[in-house]
Amino acid sequence: MLSFVNFFLLPGIVQGSIYALGAIGITLVFAIMRYGHFAHGDLATFGAFIALAFTTMLGVSPYIALPLAVLATGVFAIGIDRLFYAHLRTMPKIITTIASFGVALMLRSFVQVVWGVNTTSYARGITRPENWFGIRVKSHELVTLLVAIALVVALHLFLTRNKWGKAMRAMSDNPDLALLSGVDNNKVIALTWIVAGGLCAASGFFLGLNTELKSLMGWNILLPTFAAAILGGVGRIEGAIVGGLIVGIAEELSVLVIPGEYKVMSAFGILLLVLLFRPTGLFRGKVL
Amino acid sequence: MTALLTMKNLRAGYGDADILFDLSIEVAKGEIVAIVGPNGAGKSTAMKSIFGLLDIRAGSIAIGETDITGWVPNRIVKAGICYVPQVKNIFSEMTVHENFEMGAFLRKGDYSAALDRVYDLFPDLRTKRKTTAGSLSGGQRQMVAMGRALMLDPQVLLLDEPTAGLSPKYMEQIFQISRDVRDSGVAILLVEQHAKQALAFADRGYVLAAGRNRHEGPGPALLADRHIAEMFLGG
Amino acid sequence: MEWITVLNYPVYLAIFICIYGCLAIGLNIQWGYAGLFNAGVAGFFAIGAYTSAILTSPWAEGRLGGFDLPFPVGLVGAMLLAGLLAWPIGKICLRFRSDYLAIVTIGVAEGIRLVARSEEWLTNSARGISAIPRPFGDLPYAKAQLVYLGITALILLVAYVLVQRQAVSPWGRMMRAIRDNESAAQAMGKDVPYRRLEAFILGSALMGLAGALYVHLARTITPDAIDPMLITFLVWIMVILGGSGNNRGVLLGAIIVWVIWSTSEIVTDQLPSEYALKAKYGRMFLIGLLLQLVLRFRPEGILPEKLRKEPREERRVGEQDSVTQATGNIIN
Repeated sequence: MLSFVNFFLLPGIVQGSIYALGAIGITLVFAIMRYGHFAHGDLATFGAFIALAFTTMLGVSPYIALPLAVLATGVFAIGIDRLFYAHLRTMPKIITTIASFGVALMLRSFVQVVWGVNTTSYARGITRPENWFGIRVKSHELVTLLVAIALVVALHLFLTRNKWGKAMRAMSDNPDLALLSGVDNNKVIALTWIVAGGLCAASGFFLGLNTELKSLMGWNILLPTFAAAILGGVGRIEGAIVGGLIVGIAEELSVLVIPGEYKVMSAFGILLLVLLFRPTGLFRGKVL
Repeated sequence: MTALLTMKNLRAGYGDADILFDLSIEVAKGEIVAIVGPNGAGKSTAMKSIFGLLDIRAGSIAIGETDITGWVPNRIVKAGICYVPQVKNIFSEMTVHENFEMGAFLRKGDYSAALDRVYDLFPDLRTKRKTTAGSLSGGQRQMVAMGRALMLDPQVLLLDEPTAGLSPKYMEQIFQISRDVRDSGVAILLVEQHAKQALAFADRGYVLAAGRNRHEGPGPALLADRHIAEMFLGG
Repeated sequence: MEWITVLNYPVYLAIFICIYGCLAIGLNIQWGYAGLFNAGVAGFFAIGAYTSAILTSPWAEGRLGGFDLPFPVGLVGAMLLAGLLAWPIGKICLRFRSDYLAIVTIGVAEGIRLVARSEEWLTNSARGISAIPRPFGDLPYAKAQLVYLGITALILLVAYVLVQRQAVSPWGRMMRAIRDNESAAQAMGKDVPYRRLEAFILGSALMGLAGALYVHLARTITPDAIDPMLITFLVWIMVILGGSGNNRGVLLGAIIVWVIWSTSEIVTDQLPSEYALKAKYGRMFLIGLLLQLVLRFRPEGILPEKLRKEPREERRVGEQDSVTQATGNIIN
């Protein structure tokens, strides 16, 4: 039982929270702007490397670099929107999806030009796991979980208590009526990018912290992150979280039934099953 | 009587196609005006054109002395016109209370007085404030929709087929609430499929056909006109 | 024989243009005619490449093969298998908007890459498949290249003529009708999902064919030979730049993009080695930027689709979105 927790459940939850952070952004963009954002994975890579830049340039610990990277990536995401997506808003939404595919390539090559293609990490050395009643947790795993929970709680409070948070939900729920209520959609879009970009950077950071940093790290989590968002139901924050955890845990458990090389395909399998049997996802989201 | 909302010789449409050809409508403070007509006459389009949701080619729209032709929805709402669309007129994933809060989105400062007034108009909703709006009955949803639009204390309220699909009981209730709103000094323009009931209840009516005014006058007078009865109202 | 060696580079370039031309026409059927977003072009390309490689290569220790079948059989097999793979994918995804198809096809491409990498009995894993025959491969190098160019050009021409004939036929008009206004097409009794599936399978088969043509040129294939993001992306930019919905346009796109892509490599190779690697990634950045510029300034491409009366509008999202677009119009 303990070994099940240590070898499958805990790594699954850690990986799942990384997916969840990304999936929240995907689901928000999907629901509010109504397109799939394919640069999300590479934006996570970008965020992770920005955090690395802060640690090396300022000489601070990665945990101090994290909030800086979150903020920087959020602002950067607004910039991407203004430069590459904003003028496509009146065209079919799928055109923006294509543009985001191009942005993914640009972000990745940017990372490769600036930081190269070799793997690197925030801190050298191996962290020894701490033992809590037989459950072995590494400190960075614990931080991942705690920060992920804190971010989700903060986002929840923002969306349910704050005027602009409610405007974001309103725009996702019924965009025409939100406009008729006087909501400025440019502001909502900018806000969505701050949130989505920031969470994206956090997911990239934790991915780098728990594994390693490399230029393809974000592209590799794009599929599981999308699977998590669609499994949870497009537009459903709680769905993205549950979806992320399910995909993360399923990946870890998949090695019991399929060869380890195909571990990453379990997200693909989940995605196909959801599309076949319940396209609205677990929490009855939108289907575009 | 001076008009509050004036649409003058409006020609409008989508893309290449025109739907409205020459439409003129006036609504004064404290009156209910109904637009009726057969399907495809451009009733709902007339309403959408006020909000710039289609291309206006000629004519003008004004509130009081201010020309609002071609304004963005945001500014039109601020100018005091609120619109309740026929469908998708509530935030169905948000609570009743949040729907009203969204209605007050443009208001600065405290709006508890407006909230109280809306809950007084729709007392049924007071106990449902934490309920998700999408789970309410059709009649209650229509009330949420009207309540949301009234949160801004509009001068003009536009209702697009407010009684579509409602039971006679709710229909009467919606009409009664509309009268209460009118008596508080709001001008109401509504589009109705149920022509007879609407003309019976409105102060004045416009009969539209093929994007043009056909007849206008006090509601009861239009109802009594045999031509109109034969042409549009199905006897 | 001097002149023929001078031509080596342009011939090599031209063969690749023909291969990419096949890919671009395949994607044009999917995106240009049917509005389907296939983000896994490289996956169908790889399926074709491996299929033809396995069918035509001589026996080798430890992997499936030894069929030694002739080149045309390899091509047909590549098309069949790529089309066959497209079928279930299309079945599942084509009910939804194309975003879903895009993410699933990315998964397909990834899955194929994993199979190529891990299934030693099938693909010989990382060592790959070699000694793949090429028609007239016994000729001296320069001549063999020239002959192979002739073959690929002929195949591309046939593909172009057949697809073009379909495009101007009632079938093509129907595909456009479905793409531009799904509900109206449905109301007229068109079997929309079936037609979409048709286009998706047909396009994928052409991508498989391109893969086969590539593998007989390279004569060897390893999992790393196919960079999924790069191939997929190059084909997309060819289609968008050239003019989606116009077969001649996408061929022009294939020529322009491949010439820029290939010749810029000559330039970056001249750089000192510490910059050369960076320049390689810089080139990918520029390709991404090129796409953004085309979408911004000439979204219809160099040679736009001809039958178009008005700019294409998203109809498949329904009325709600068109109103959002209308208001978006004003607000932007």
